[in-house]
Amino acid sequence: MDLGFIAQYFVNGLVQGITYALVAVGFTLFFGVLDVIKFSHGDVLMLGAFTALALFLGLDQLASPAWLSLIIMLCIGTLAMGLLGALLCKFLVLPLKESPPLNTLLITLMFGSVIRESVRLFFPNGSNPKPFPALLPEASINWGNLNLRLDSVILIFTGALAIVVTHLIIQKTRIGLAIRAVAQDEETARLMGIDFKKTVLATFALGSGLAALSGISTGLYYQEINFSMGLMLGVIGFSAAVVGGLGSIYGAIVGGLLFAFLQTLGAIWFSVPAYKDVFAFAVIIILMAWRPTGLLADRSAERV
Amino acid sequence: MSDLKTKLVLLLGVALSVIVLYGFLYLEREWEIGVLLVMVPLGVYFLKRANALTYYQHAAREMPRFTWISFALGVVVLIMLLRHEDFALLMLTTVLLYATVSLGLTIQFGFAGVVNFAAIAFFGIGAYSMAILNQHFLHIPDLLIIFFSGAISALLGALLILPILRTRGHYAALITIAFGILFRTFLEVNDVLGGPQGLRVSGLEMFGWDFGNSFPNELGGGSFYVAYAIVALVLLATGYLITRLIEASWLGLNMDSVRLDEVASASFGINGPRWKITAFMLGNCFAGFAGAVYAAMYGFIAPASFNLSDSLLLVSIVLLGGIGNPVAVIPAAFLIVVLPEKFQVIQEYRLLLFGIVVILILRFRPSGLMPRGLRQYFAGRFG
Amino acid sequence: MRQTVLQTKELTVSFGGLKALNGLDFQLCEGEFLGLIGPNGSGKTTFFNALTGIYRPAAGSVLLHGNDITGAPPNKIYAYGITRTFQRLRLATSLSVLDNLIIGNQRNLNLGLWYNIFNRKYFKQRLQEQIQIAEELLSRFSRDLAVHLFKPVSSLSMIDRRRVEVCRALISEPKILLLDEPSAGMTPDETRALMDELQHWREQYPALSIILIEHEMELINKVSDRCVVLNYGEKIAEGRYSEVSKEPGVRAAYLGED
Repeated sequence: MDLGFIAQYFVNGLVQGITYALVAVGFTLFFGVLDVIKFSHGDVLMLGAFTALALFLGLDQLASPAWLSLIIMLCIGTLAMGLLGALLCKFLVLPLKESPPLNTLLITLMFGSVIRESVRLFFPNGSNPKPFPALLPEASINWGNLNLRLDSVILIFTGALAIVVTHLIIQKTRIGLAIRAVAQDEETARLMGIDFKKTVLATFALGSGLAALSGISTGLYYQEINFSMGLMLGVIGFSAAVVGGLGSIYGAIVGGLLFAFLQTLGAIWFSVPAYKDVFAFAVIIILMAWRPTGLLADRSAERV
Repeated sequence: MSDLKTKLVLLLGVALSVIVLYGFLYLEREWEIGVLLVMVPLGVYFLKRANALTYYQHAAREMPRFTWISFALGVVVLIMLLRHEDFALLMLTTVLLYATVSLGLTIQFGFAGVVNFAAIAFFGIGAYSMAILNQHFLHIPDLLIIFFSGAISALLGALLILPILRTRGHYAALITIAFGILFRTFLEVNDVLGGPQGLRVSGLEMFGWDFGNSFPNELGGGSFYVAYAIVALVLLATGYLITRLIEASWLGLNMDSVRLDEVASASFGINGPRWKITAFMLGNCFAGFAGAVYAAMYGFIAPASFNLSDSLLLVSIVLLGGIGNPVAVIPAAFLIVVLPEKFQVIQEYRLLLFGIVVILILRFRPSGLMPRGLRQYFAGRFG
Repeated sequence: MRQTVLQTKELTVSFGGLKALNGLDFQLCEGEFLGLIGPNGSGKTTFFNALTGIYRPAAGSVLLHGNDITGAPPNKIYAYGITRTFQRLRLATSLSVLDNLIIGNQRNLNLGLWYNIFNRKYFKQRLQEQIQIAEELLSRFSRDLAVHLFKPVSSLSMIDRRRVEVCRALISEPKILLLDEPSAGMTPDETRALMDELQHWREQYPALSIILIEHEMELINKVSDRCVVLNYGEKIAEGRYSEVSKEPGVRAAYLGED
């Protein structure tokens, strides 16, 4: 097995891993702030990709240059999904704050289902995979068996940048401080004058924006999107966040990369490609049984 | 209320229900069903105004056993009325089987608080068990095969027990979702189990009766589906009885306690894991039984029928009906299975519509259409 | 001399870096009524949680009749005859009062599948026993409480709920009872009635040992045989209330240093 071959798998895995990490970071943000599992996260990702596609198709008619289209797609896609996230929070999640947490899980799960079905039914020919434009440079470098695509590098870089920016927002800005305060102790944060509602809405918007970014990246990389891609990505992202430790951003990143690593391992070992998912999920389930609170998070004591 | 009066009220209730259900199952034209669909809520509204519903509820609480028997007989009457209608019987049987799975979910989720988004996977395990056992072990009686299918479902579910117990509510949900995906993927890549094309299943044969035969002419003749419908009814009736008995016993009490507050329960000696395991395995067993009968009836199963969206549909049945209320799953299952078959529009937008309905329920009426009442151990004074 | 039933040695509970309990040595004698006092956050409830297995101690040991039960899970603790009430009520509010009480009587329930599902006649008899026990117990604490037996706990007033929580802890006839501010929100009369009933109970069960967390010093003075005072997770005083209340360290803990 020569180096180039392995390096290829490595690079593919890394792109996947960063995508998963972005989704996982979103999950962790929601959970940290509101103790909420937003199961519709993956489908928001998918909707972001489809929104971008729709925009592209429109912009293409106007003969817009590739770079401009890309920028518009990114901006509007993330903003639109950010807005959707905030609306979801305002109308479906916050009102259920006093109900058992399972209800919030269910309502977001159903919301994801609704998004998925809506795209399948209302987007023209939605049930079939749709080609996504290749807006990134097509160049690639060749080293033996390794075909390093330039767009892979760009995507890895962008994904990492997004994570770093998110981290900076959380750690260095006022809204980030508010988010951390609410995540730690809602009551005290409110007493200290933090606007709980605004903070939660901002968190949802931020997380959903990240999802859109993830969706668009995935579309650019595979040059194809379909209405059910969100489901799998959502489950994977959630698993990654859980394995890394819900509430910990580093954990989410580790989890995302770990899952991609497991998939890559599975793809190399098993001849049937579909088994890679079975393998990865099985390992994740075992990990969750072994370390229920996650690999990185510290245990939180329950107040009795 | 005198005994006779109570019985009459109950029988009247059964008769009305049978008539309405017959209407829904038999009528084919959309406008006819539409009329029925409007009349029923109106009827319910007026009955409520006349306090007839509370009357009925009282009667049902006074004589639960009579209610159960009369409803079971009512469904038999319904089956007989529909004995020449292949498709109606198929629908009715599917409703009965889905309701059985939903009862399992009620025990898992409504009683013990164990989330299960892989109900269809356990249903599928039962189906595939029936397919394989029936094919390869011809000398084992079918009744036993059904039992084995349920047992296999329960045992495979046990694989998930450890991760589920060690993690909190939402993580357990994730584990069951992952398992559901795993199951479906596993089926598709495995040629032994038929792969994506699926498997053929031979029909049931019980007590000397081959279910492929039409219903005997001496009893009025009819579709061969009648036999399957009866089996499904027996399954549901038994499942319902078991669910109710669990609820009205220390078992159900402990499960509720674990669901509501596991720490406080432990402080009073209740072993949370024991009850969650019991509920989870029992519920999966129900799903396995139902899946086995389903497979035999359809004669063919394929991985495509065992999706996450089907599991969500089953969860929707439980939520729509009223979480923790065993009676509620039956009308809910009926609505969710039959309406899409009758209205093309609903069929196409099925998952979307039901998703929206569940969102509305969770937002505005989380206890469901028929909220669960207080535990009633026995008829009469006890609550 | 009465024998020691419960004892802790160097009991330490920490949350991350914070030591909620720090090397606590503690003794409870048979039949004793012990008051556990201290300012808010001094570790009283944490102590209960460590005793009952809800928190795992970081160090130290808990001994029951000389046997080490450190780290035993809550259901084992219950099996040993130790029950408790919670500072913030933890009743199952959607269930009936009867259900909540029966939950407290786990030890005396037959949980077998056969009896519960198939032998309904037997089950009915057991149920009627439980109903009777529950009714008697409730009426000791309040004349009208038994009326609410089949109603959901959510329909009860806070005071009645507190009474139900105490009854739930008593129904299994425990040997050691841990009460965490049971009279919170009660008027002086109601509190007196509660304490009177506990005294009656003690007369009926002389071996019952009680630890009472309370903020009302008058009460502690009246009912307790002895007190332990905690501050910042450590024991700062021990003895009869009359002696302990005069100690400068105790006064400082409550009122602050001058």
